[in-house]
Amino acid sequence: MKALILVGGFGTRLRPLTLSVPKPLVEFANKPMILHQIEALKAVGVNEVVLAINYQPEVMLNFLKDFETNLGIKITCSQETEPLGTAGPLALARDKLIDDSGEPFFVLNSDVISEYPFEQMIKFHKAHGGEASIMVTKVDEPSKYGVVVTEESTGKVEKFVEKPKLFVGNKINAGIYLLNPAVLDRIELRPTSIEKEVFPKIAAEGKLFAMVLPGFWMDIGQPRDYITGLRLYLDSLRKKSSSKLAIGPHVVGNVLVHESAQIGEGCLIGPDVAIGPGCVVESGVRLSHCTVMRGVRIKKHACISSSIIGWHSTVGQWARVENMTILGEDVHVCDEIYSNGGVVLPHKEIKSSILKPEIVM
Amino acid sequence: MYQKSIFSYLSIVADSEIWVSISVDLEMGSSEEKVVAVIMVGGPTKGTRFRPLSLNIPKPLFPLAGQPMVHHPISACKRIPNLAQIYLVGFYEEREFALYVSSISNELKIPVRYMREDKPHGSAGGLYNFRDLIMEDSPSHIFLLNCDVCCSFPLSEMLEAHKKYGGMGTILVIKVSAESASQFGELVADPETKELLHYTEKPETFVSDLINCGVYIFTPEIFTAIQDVSSQRKDRANLRRVSSFEALQSATRSLPTDFVRLDQDILSPLAGKKQLYTYETMDFWEQIKTPGMSLKCSGLYLAQFRFTSPDLLASGDGTKNATFTGDVYVHPSAKVHPTAKIGPNVSISANARIGAGVRLISCIILDGVEIMENAVVTNAIVGWKSSIGRWSRVQAISLHKKGYFTFMSQVAVGDYNAKLGVTILGESVGVEDEVVVTNSIVLPNKTLNVSVQEEIIL
Repeated sequence: MKALILVGGFGTRLRPLTLSVPKPLVEFANKPMILHQIEALKAVGVNEVVLAINYQPEVMLNFLKDFETNLGIKITCSQETEPLGTAGPLALARDKLIDDSGEPFFVLNSDVISEYPFEQMIKFHKAHGGEASIMVTKVDEPSKYGVVVTEESTGKVEKFVEKPKLFVGNKINAGIYLLNPAVLDRIELRPTSIEKEVFPKIAAEGKLFAMVLPGFWMDIGQPRDYITGLRLYLDSLRKKSSSKLAIGPHVVGNVLVHESAQIGEGCLIGPDVAIGPGCVVESGVRLSHCTVMRGVRIKKHACISSSIIGWHSTVGQWARVENMTILGEDVHVCDEIYSNGGVVLPHKEIKSSILKPEIVM
Repeated sequence: MYQKSIFSYLSIVADSEIWVSISVDLEMGSSEEKVVAVIMVGGPTKGTRFRPLSLNIPKPLFPLAGQPMVHHPISACKRIPNLAQIYLVGFYEEREFALYVSSISNELKIPVRYMREDKPHGSAGGLYNFRDLIMEDSPSHIFLLNCDVCCSFPLSEMLEAHKKYGGMGTILVIKVSAESASQFGELVADPETKELLHYTEKPETFVSDLINCGVYIFTPEIFTAIQDVSSQRKDRANLRRVSSFEALQSATRSLPTDFVRLDQDILSPLAGKKQLYTYETMDFWEQIKTPGMSLKCSGLYLAQFRFTSPDLLASGDGTKNATFTGDVYVHPSAKVHPTAKIGPNVSISANARIGAGVRLISCIILDGVEIMENAVVTNAIVGWKSSIGRWSRVQAISLHKKGYFTFMSQVAVGDYNAKLGVTILGESVGVEDEVVVTNSIVLPNKTLNVSVQEEIIL
């Protein structure tokens, strides 16, 4: 089987992290976002992944080279020279996706994190016998999204309603599709939307079916959702393979600590924390609801909550970093500094406190 | 005291010969002239800008550099040669000062007395009110100090200068920036003779960058001067019954005859009459009207300890004691964990407990406060028996950044404190673990379980 991952552009919503690496390579729970998807695809027998990308394909391919051999999966890029929307890239990668097998292929939105129940999706797809399957997920506020209205018993999609003002349903498109090759015949090579142009036509013919995604789902394309997504992911990890989570008197709730990271005495870590490889967390540090990327040093008595600490940054003694503070790569927060929602671009030194959320260029 | 007891003894048993010889002795030694000091401490209806701290303690007893505010002028008085008595004059109840007055008298071996006014009489009126007591020892000079000023009190130098000038009074003055001068009494002095030529209180337009520090020395003639003002008022009051027109014209019509201000009623009219002189200090000077200023002044006094009483300053490098940086006072009964880092400008009062890994910067920690592990306190005053949780942070960030001035205009009550960048926790305030309190004022007996910023918590 094959899969296409819609990587897209600059990942501006996840800046300043995406100023240093392409978005799919930003670690989520100590693993590049895209690897979560590739590993799950490999697990259900996908042997070739095409990345639809329009920015820095070399960086991506260089990075993924090792994983190709390790995972035994072929990874290629299909580069757009102009933005083609959500459907155009499928037409562009048509030759890579179609082979003699006639099997359906996966299409994933790269921002989405979930338990990736691909096995169930394949079964669902085969069972309904239609042309395309999409995953839907229930949300609290459907009016922010495109709502998918389905026939309750079969899952057959009746219509799409974009940002409905009145309640028509609470299931939204989760950005995970399984499509027959025939779908490609419906897509022209031009900027076009799969949600707005392609799916409604298939639905009109009664050949589009929606499966409710079991487990959690989160679009982690922006910092706040990234932090929420980590909580959901670690909750799910607790149920599935809790041995991966840290234990000890200094741990509260779900915490992921890379084996090469060091934690000092008298710390209190958690809940919902990921500490990356090579990190040094000195004594008396408090971490909660945060991600600490590779090579970071958190000095004594610092306190971090609801924040992302970018690669190789340092947080000084008695510093307080909170409320969606995002430190880019190689940022240094001096001793005793307070950051309330500071968004700091790479290679900066923070010498004075940030009282209100603001961007530090 | 010593001389006085000889006197009373002699007055009972002495014959005239001895009497004469003793009194000659006293007259000859002009250095043996007695001096008394009067410190005006105000009362509970004053100092409202010092809330919420003044809700618990008379402002003059609020600790700066670990010592009650009034202790600093008192210990400066102690250094005056031949000081016979220190009087505190105010309208707080006696019991509020009883304990302090008796302990400081013992400590300094100088009688310190609290004299309660039945009502505010103005600073000159207050002095006059107690003239019989003040003159009991027949002092040659009377110091008059306001309690709410913070300076090095160069009293002996003032006395020397005053004797040289030969006037009735000498005022301690300081040069300040032209912008800030208008908040104080502005005055003009003769650059050569130092005579006070002109005095005006809080003028609307710029008069001078020399201001009145609220520290004076007078000869006993000051009482005559105050009496003159008082009797003029009485005359005018009598006149008023005759002419209601005059009464309406008079700017002082609402003032009772025994209310005499020092500045407007004495200094202004006597300026330029070769009776008042000035002594300029080149040292620090501040007025302590708000809690925010008290933190600054605490720092100034701590810095002064370097020269006057270095033994009061804490030291340690983190091996056996905590790490201390800059000027820090720690009361002997307070416990500070060796892994804590304290300073600069920190004073920690009695029975406070400072936990492991705590960081204190520029703050006043009052009696019985507990600060738990890894908490940070910076630019704050933490009230009596308050408790600061683990990894919590009590701070003020003095800001010139956007958004801050909006806050200041909204919060009229707190703007003065906010401007000075100080967070204040009243008595028995609880800050729970990991909570951040920023640029806020918290009244007594409140517990904070969520972070607050730029708020007044009632």
